[in-house]
Amino acid sequence: MPLTAAFVDELRGIVGADALILTTEGRMTYECDMHTFYKGAPDAVVLPARAEQVQAVVQLCRRERVPIVPRGSGTGLIGGAMAAQGGVMVSMTRMAAVLDVDLPNRCATVQPGLINLWLTHAVAERGWFFAPDPSSQMVSSIGGNVSTNAGGPHCLKYGITTNHVLGLQLVTGAGDLVWLGGKVAERPGYDLTGAAVGSEGTFGLVTAITVRLTHTPEAVKTALAAFRSMVDASEAVSAIIAAGMIPAALEMLDEAIIKAINAGTGAGYPEGAGAVLLVELDGPRGEVETQAERVAAICRERGAISVSVARDDAERALLWKGRKEAAGAVGRLTSAYLLQDAVVPRSKLPQIMRELVAIGERHRLLIANVFHAGDGNLHPLICYDDRSADELARAKQANEELLHACIALGGSVTGEHGIGADKCQSLPLQFAEADLNFMYRLRGAFDPDRLMNPGKLLPTHPACGEGFKPERPVLPAGTWV
Amino acid sequence: MGVSVTTRALGEALRARLGPDGATDDPAARAAAAVDGGQPSWVARPRSVEDAARVLALAHDEGLAVLPRGSGSALALGAPPERADIVLDLGRLDTVLEYSPDDLTVTVQAGVTGGALAATLAARRQTLPVDPPGWSRRTLGGIAATAASGPLRLRYGAVRDLLLGVRFIQADGVTTWGGAKVVKSVTGYDVPKLLVGSLGTLGVIVEMTLRLHPLPEAAATVLLLMPSAQAAQDTVGRIVDSTLQPNRLEWLDAGALAACGLPSSPAALAISIGSVEAAVRAQQAVIVATGTAAGARAEIVGPAFWRTYDRALAETGTTVLRVGTLTSRLAATLDAIRAALGTEASFAITAGAPLGVLRVAIDGGEPVRLRQAIERLRGFVGEDEGSVVIERAPLALRTSVDPWGSVPTGALELMRTLKREFDPARTLNPGRFVGGI
Repeated sequence: MPLTAAFVDELRGIVGADALILTTEGRMTYECDMHTFYKGAPDAVVLPARAEQVQAVVQLCRRERVPIVPRGSGTGLIGGAMAAQGGVMVSMTRMAAVLDVDLPNRCATVQPGLINLWLTHAVAERGWFFAPDPSSQMVSSIGGNVSTNAGGPHCLKYGITTNHVLGLQLVTGAGDLVWLGGKVAERPGYDLTGAAVGSEGTFGLVTAITVRLTHTPEAVKTALAAFRSMVDASEAVSAIIAAGMIPAALEMLDEAIIKAINAGTGAGYPEGAGAVLLVELDGPRGEVETQAERVAAICRERGAISVSVARDDAERALLWKGRKEAAGAVGRLTSAYLLQDAVVPRSKLPQIMRELVAIGERHRLLIANVFHAGDGNLHPLICYDDRSADELARAKQANEELLHACIALGGSVTGEHGIGADKCQSLPLQFAEADLNFMYRLRGAFDPDRLMNPGKLLPTHPACGEGFKPERPVLPAGTWV
Repeated sequence: MGVSVTTRALGEALRARLGPDGATDDPAARAAAAVDGGQPSWVARPRSVEDAARVLALAHDEGLAVLPRGSGSALALGAPPERADIVLDLGRLDTVLEYSPDDLTVTVQAGVTGGALAATLAARRQTLPVDPPGWSRRTLGGIAATAASGPLRLRYGAVRDLLLGVRFIQADGVTTWGGAKVVKSVTGYDVPKLLVGSLGTLGVIVEMTLRLHPLPEAAATVLLLMPSAQAAQDTVGRIVDSTLQPNRLEWLDAGALAACGLPSSPAALAISIGSVEAAVRAQQAVIVATGTAAGARAEIVGPAFWRTYDRALAETGTTVLRVGTLTSRLAATLDAIRAALGTEASFAITAGAPLGVLRVAIDGGEPVRLRQAIERLRGFVGEDEGSVVIERAPLALRTSVDPWGSVPTGALELMRTLKREFDPARTLNPGRFVGGI
């Protein structure tokens, strides 16, 4: 739906000519996030500098029934920050300031466009950090992290984004500018902050965020254990948790990834290993040292072919080097891949690993794995040749089967990437009609016209957006009237 | 909405569904279930989620008000209900449905008490670290619905951070699930967080999947008897800005020390550590040194301290206020509380110090004077968007002052919109929540 000249004039009046992108080349830069399957260029992009401008844009779009799509750094993996139905994209890159740092009260208030790692940089010298650490943290924005409720390797111990958000300033889909929550953790009323984190822009646009900061731990220790098989490594994961430890991170890499990494910059992971387990412990020194010894012993008991514990920061960096380069190393394995983000209960890891191998064999596809083993969050990379339509079809089929297998084991569709356009049709795997109906209505309370990031997070209903019809209990009619 | 069903017919319907002992209009039972003097016509005690759903569907269709109830320990939280037709007692939904120690998760029915779950988990040295005063006798559904928290919130977060999935019954009787059964999931909206602390006004929680933690293998508690409130404030600041990882850090004023039968002091800090032996010893030494440098007398106390503390908090105070403030303003807030209450009543103040959550337990006091004190205190903490909620109080006080205090207009409007959306007939706990919700 092309925008009218009058509409564009009003938009320009709100944000200024230098904050409005209308050219085809300019708009095309915003046509997708990191999931390039899903493309949709907005009709206009605005780059507001203040919450009031954001509010005016929402009010204008609402008046004219124009869809609004929020965008942070565009590093999402779910087709969330793209304009499936056109409309106005609101890019938060010019709202990237740290507004307030309040260490005695362990919090900071930032604008949504601030890059995740920059907040940690702003407080690191004083001994603090922002705990959510998605792999994209060097480039992804905190607003984007809030939108998808992002996780990361260290959320096993520290929790995901929502556990670190105290308050939000939000322009709702109704065009109201409201503060939900705030610095004071204890407050009466519904936990609207909790409901809004992870809503992927469908409630409105976040214009400021108050986050909890965490004190840097006294000690950090990283160990790397190599195993013959993924099943052995998965059993070691269960044994570590069963021994009463919750490491800061518990990451696993499979043989295909190990080979690809070693072939590249050479993190020097043991040749011939079927799986590598990266375990990071942090906290008080005595705890970290005791637990590192125990982790090493458990890995050896479970058949590890080698265990090494980093003695200093340089060695620690080397152990992490491969993990951090994993995504890039995949380029040596395949021209294209589908990335899955499903979750299984941690105890089901050995089982899902066996199923995953079977699915790969059945569809004659390489499935490489690098994932957050500690919380059962899989990231299988289903490799295919992007010149072959047949391979793509098989990859999609394998992806679907894998998702179903995870749900059958009591898992979840997505652990940390979110739903976006990519997985909204998968929600019914996990939720009944009544559950989806509740979510539809919840969204409507914030965004009555359903103009905020349409086509994301919630599945479209066969009855064309009418919503799902839940079943009420069957009441034996006539017994009481 | 008019009541189109006779009391007798309603009773027949409830009994037909729930069995003869599942619903009662016995005068003694009704009187015992009264909320703020309002006696329900019926007390329903379903044995299954399906039966609980049918009670709600019936009540909804007939325009009746339903007051959900767990152990009954938090019934004096909130405003008196506008109407009270059926008390829905969830105490019989008391089954631990699925415990997966290897996944550190458990799924329970809402009527399971904190103590019963703790007993189940102890065998595997695991814990649900949720410990509001009197937690062992409270139901987990009630703790979630009231967002109650205790000292361990410092290290493990509150119920909102530990609730992974929730099954609840909407006002019209539709059983609904939100969240997941795994420790990490961002599938769909975070419905569990919306339910936590909603006092049953959006839906009745009947089942919860919770994240567990391993019990620390070693623990110690240090009591620092501080020479002044300012010294306590400074010590809290030093501990917060350090690599120490206490799992509790509670502030006790002189009244709270007396309630716990402890030596008198202007202020005290009770700090516990849970970890491996070596780390516990090392951190304990640092805490003692930090305290004594600020002029404190340090005592190492056993785990029994926390049982005493829990009991003292649960039992003290005819009126209890929950105050949210900033950690950096704890000493100032304590001063403000003392100034507001004056010599009107005896009181004991405790605080989860790094969280800025204070609990004021007041014994006695004229409702008129207490109302003035609460209004003064709201003015003080309101400067930093703090809050004062009446956690329990005699009815006379709760009818003369809003037990919740004010909620910012924009947020309150959204809350009202949610209530209208999910409970337009005002079936659930009508009038008890913020802003008349």
